[in-house]
Amino acid sequence: MTTENKSLLFEIPKLEGSRSNPRLLRVIVTSTFTRIDFGYTTPWYYESGGWIKIAAKTHLVVSGNEKKFLLKDTEGIPIAPKKMNFESTEDWQFFSLFFEPIPLIDCELSIIEKENPTEKDFNYYSIQLLLSEGLTILG
Amino acid sequence: MPVNKNALLRYSIIDRLVRNKYKPYPTMEEIIEACLEQHSVTSSETIQKDMNHMRRPRPIGYNAPIYFDRKFQGYAYSEPEFSISSLALSSEEVGAIRETLDLVKMISGTSMSEKFNSAMEKVLSITFEDFPEGEKKQAILQTMQPPKARGFEYFELFYSACREKIPVSFVHYSYKKRKFNSIIIHPFLIKEFENKWYIVGYSEKHASIRIFGMDRVYAPILLDKPFIKVANKKTDDYFHTMYGVFPIPKAKKQKIKIRVSSLATNYFQAYPIHESQKIIKFPDGFSNITFQVVPTIELVRLFLSHGKQVQVIEPEWLIDFSTKLF
Repeated sequence: MTTENKSLLFEIPKLEGSRSNPRLLRVIVTSTFTRIDFGYTTPWYYESGGWIKIAAKTHLVVSGNEKKFLLKDTEGIPIAPKKMNFESTEDWQFFSLFFEPIPLIDCELSIIEKENPTEKDFNYYSIQLLLSEGLTILG
Repeated sequence: MPVNKNALLRYSIIDRLVRNKYKPYPTMEEIIEACLEQHSVTSSETIQKDMNHMRRPRPIGYNAPIYFDRKFQGYAYSEPEFSISSLALSSEEVGAIRETLDLVKMISGTSMSEKFNSAMEKVLSITFEDFPEGEKKQAILQTMQPPKARGFEYFELFYSACREKIPVSFVHYSYKKRKFNSIIIHPFLIKEFENKWYIVGYSEKHASIRIFGMDRVYAPILLDKPFIKVANKKTDDYFHTMYGVFPIPKAKKQKIKIRVSSLATNYFQAYPIHESQKIIKFPDGFSNITFQVVPTIELVRLFLSHGKQVQVIEPEWLIDFSTKLF
């Protein structure tokens, strides 16, 4: 199987200096999409756990590449202005974001929900993807 | 060209009638009547065609030595032991399959049970009689059938992974720690306990055998990487030494002794919870019951569910643990 049509899964360890909730768990790179899995637990400081949504303009940036890889779809989280309300401060949500396929090369990946983010925005920077650490997905 | 299900049903009826030692030499009319009873619309021409097909060599037909006996005015096999089914199941065996099918239906909703149903349909159709397709029948076997649990949709994926020895990546959420983790498991067993389903295997993250509730599993993905096989003895021993699924951390297999009221003793006698269970009964009906097991959360919960009827007496640490869990 060539690198071009291979699908790789990257387990992402806890990122230093990056937000821990939502926790970025896995990045899956295929020839047709890039999927990023997150786990979110509702914090105590929002009434009834608050809500979540993702900005439609969320995109990926790959080191050494000027292209913005756009958000195409989601699972488990609505695209703004829709939002998902939680019921308690003990809730949790697993969700996935699907972007345009990124090149399958060693790179640093950033997820940008807002260019100038506030605390409420999901921005993650410099996620290292090394092909040697990628796990081949069956099928 | 595959033979249709109605034809298969007629072949099985003809085969059954011709092999019936208590009523040999069935006539054409009797065969037609039997087919009609099984809701298979037919005629003498169709039956003749069926017999011709059955006479054809395998794999197209069955090589059936069927002939019309002029003396007895009925049909028979020239080789009395012949059957179109190489399985030749007895009615008891067919009954056993049906009972199993009922049990499998308890795991309904998975395409696996549909596949099993379909496979058994084929087996039964060439062995004995009609398969009750879509027929509403009175259930005579019933187990607990709670509504479908979250994560059960992954049953088939994990079943295949266990069977084919394929590592799986999934996201796990811990209810207790309120934490998500990415896990890679080399699964070898699917375990059911008290209507909850678990996947058991070697976890790379924990470098040991681990068990995960399927309800806490998200987005499993099959991986193309070498499978880490755990020694058979280890996997066999894992659950044989415990009642339940979650061992109390760091606890090894040991003797556990409980003091049990006469009322609760009846239940332990009727429904032993582990093969190591030993009851020493006293004249007042009370008993001491011992187990040689790895203590689990479920075992302690079971003891606590009996309230004052059951008291842990050994080991000392488990008495404290039970008090805290309560």
